[in-house]
Amino acid sequence: MKKIFAIAWKDAIIRFSSFSEILFFIILPIVFIFLFAGAVPTGDEDNRIRLLVVDQANTSISQEILSELEKSTSVRPDVMSIEEAQEQFDSNRVAAMLIIPAGFDIESIQSGNAQLDFHQQPSDIDANVAQRAVETALRKVSSVFNAAQMALEEAKARGTFESLEDEQAYFNAALETAKTLQADSPERIKTVQGNTPDDFDYDPQANVSAGQLITWVFIPLFGISALFAYERQQGTLRRILTTPTSKATFLFGTISGQVLMALIQMTLIVLFAFLAFKLNWGNPIGLYIVLSCSCLAAAAIGTAMGTFIKSEGQAVGLSIMAGMLMGMLGGCWFPIELFPPFMQSFAKIFPTTWAMQGLLDLLLRGAGVVDILPEAGMLIGFAVIFFGIGVMKFRYE
Amino acid sequence: MLAYLQKQASALHIKEITMLKTFIIGLKDLKLVFRDRAALIFMLLTPFLLTLGMGLITGRFSSNDNSGALNIPIVIVNLDNDSMGNALVDVFNSEGLADLVEPTISQDAEAARLLVDEDKITAAIIIPAGFTHSIIPQNGITSENVQIEFYANPSRPTSSGIIKTILDGFIARLDEMRIGGVVSVTQLISSGRITPQQAQQVGDEMGKRFENNQNDFNETIITLNTSTKQTESNEVDMLSYFAPGMALMFLMYTVSYGGRSILAEKSGGTLPRLLISPTNAMQILGGKVFGIFLTGIAQLLILIGATSLLFQLHWGNTIGVIVLVCAAVFGATGWGLFITALARTPAQVGSIGSALMLIFGVLGGGFIQTDNMSAFVQTIRKITPNAWALDGFTELAFGGNIASLTTPLLALLTMGIILFLVSAFLFGRKNLMQK
Repeated sequence: MKKIFAIAWKDAIIRFSSFSEILFFIILPIVFIFLFAGAVPTGDEDNRIRLLVVDQANTSISQEILSELEKSTSVRPDVMSIEEAQEQFDSNRVAAMLIIPAGFDIESIQSGNAQLDFHQQPSDIDANVAQRAVETALRKVSSVFNAAQMALEEAKARGTFESLEDEQAYFNAALETAKTLQADSPERIKTVQGNTPDDFDYDPQANVSAGQLITWVFIPLFGISALFAYERQQGTLRRILTTPTSKATFLFGTISGQVLMALIQMTLIVLFAFLAFKLNWGNPIGLYIVLSCSCLAAAAIGTAMGTFIKSEGQAVGLSIMAGMLMGMLGGCWFPIELFPPFMQSFAKIFPTTWAMQGLLDLLLRGAGVVDILPEAGMLIGFAVIFFGIGVMKFRYE
Repeated sequence: MLAYLQKQASALHIKEITMLKTFIIGLKDLKLVFRDRAALIFMLLTPFLLTLGMGLITGRFSSNDNSGALNIPIVIVNLDNDSMGNALVDVFNSEGLADLVEPTISQDAEAARLLVDEDKITAAIIIPAGFTHSIIPQNGITSENVQIEFYANPSRPTSSGIIKTILDGFIARLDEMRIGGVVSVTQLISSGRITPQQAQQVGDEMGKRFENNQNDFNETIITLNTSTKQTESNEVDMLSYFAPGMALMFLMYTVSYGGRSILAEKSGGTLPRLLISPTNAMQILGGKVFGIFLTGIAQLLILIGATSLLFQLHWGNTIGVIVLVCAAVFGATGWGLFITALARTPAQVGSIGSALMLIFGVLGGGFIQTDNMSAFVQTIRKITPNAWALDGFTELAFGGNIASLTTPLLALLTMGIILFLVSAFLFGRKNLMQK
């Protein structure tokens, strides 16, 4: 026991000999949680397509168009100056832009000269949707004018007007009637929400915190391989051969030390998310079962990696690469529900997927200890397989 | 005259030797990096695999269509089987909506609702019998209001919102025709152009005209002038964001690796040895910087070449890409030197470099869209070469050329120059190049 503690303590000293380790241990995970949590949509926000609107006319009729766009179920108008809109459109930050030019008013509509400019990005489906929404809004706003115009054309087909004033008066009367009729128009669409089970639980802060926690803990645990490679390169592993220390004692000391440090790191991240986002991590026993099993799985993979990687540099590179890839493919960066179906199935070969699943069960679905046992079991399975490989293939030289 | 020419020739010769030494040192560093397997994992393998991973999770490799067509699945149940119900079916089957909607026609309303409940489709549109009759009077009689049922999938709010917009547009057109007909007849009577007895006949005639010539009523009194941004490429590939994002993130590793080698040469004793040879400090430092620059360019060009060949990724205008790569590497090299100038040991350069690589990667937009980030983050990201270079690569992917890269190029060059000057000052203060 004393030997195991001594080995674990020695590893901790080596690891934290540089202040930069603190950077990766706690500072960067927190920075990443902040950045990712700030960048992903919250789910509660307006998910309609953003449409830039430049209202240079600022007339009652342009306001009516804006009001109709606000009511749209597919676009969200964002009113701004022409310079700002043009800059955003030119830098491809938005799919479409609507410009209501100065002089757009009721008179211009009556005279048939009313024109709006719609700019869209090429081959952009959002722009296509935005155009439909704008056309619908224009149709609603202009329908009374179209109806009045239609009435005027029908009248003209049955005889001429004595003067332009008479024609205008006829149009105005038709317009008033049309407005009354429009106001009394019945609702022709009945919207019913289906009974689709909403199985996509998503909370950006919960997803991001859990995802970053796993990513940033898996990478250093994969880094156990670098620890082995370092000791092998330095020749210290060979020296251990000369002492009465078994392979099992050495491996257990190294791995348990790293797992313990990972649990401390996880606890700090859990506390941070709790304090910063008031995140409820769910059942604490369940949480530490998932965290411990995740640590064991990652440490086992690191041990297995350490048996075939030759240099410390390669081990560091491969650990970070493997950690980032498994994090990404395991749903730690983006919700796995958004992956294509075959990738959702493929992701099950990664321990990160199970760790993430376990944490989200606790965080979002109120799972208890029994509910997370399948995920914990899978993680233990990874640990057994990779520890087996690691112990069998481990060599001092 | 001869003496002058000899002097000129000698000066030229010295210049050539100086350049040659700088070039040789740079080339030597390039060779060393490409022999280091650990460095190659970071420089080439990791960004390549992460790009591949991004492509896999976003469905880039599982769909033949990268243009982003939505093909929203819906079912239309047309129980009306009359002109207006058929017109609505035609709208959803029109060519203009081919990229947006994938409609299926059915006669079974319950089955359609069930498909929504099972999350297999976005919405069911159920047009009840008598819908046409509720809008267009027949024999002067209009039936009571008959509503279309829009049965929406609540777990697909965006796409069901799009379908509702299309449906709203259709209904607005119908109402406009109906109101137009009623207003026309009312006004004709009140102006004495027709008698009340003629109203039904005129109304029926108009109704027939609406039914037979619906396309004539598509136009609105307000003209919408549409224009599409002119670009070379009309295909927008999502890997066009991820591939440069990942490549640029790991470019930061490369430049910090290069910077680390300067300090490593000092602590390893090779730098003092170089300084006692007939090679001055500026030549050595210039060579080292040139080496970092060459390595960065090689890294980006290899990644661009690999993704072009293996993923058929279109990076855009070739000259624009080359110029932008040079500018991005120049800006990033500035950061590499700056980190080196601040650090005391090669390990510190490694740690700070790795941390900056990851932070710049996120801020630059390599992992996630930064549009939702706070205004503060939007401002701070401008200090990263990743953000400017990614803007440039996106512009090129959208069909831009070198002329459209003015802002990113200027920003990257300015960033590089400022960081080079600050680093040179800090190197001077640290007496880094002392024997």
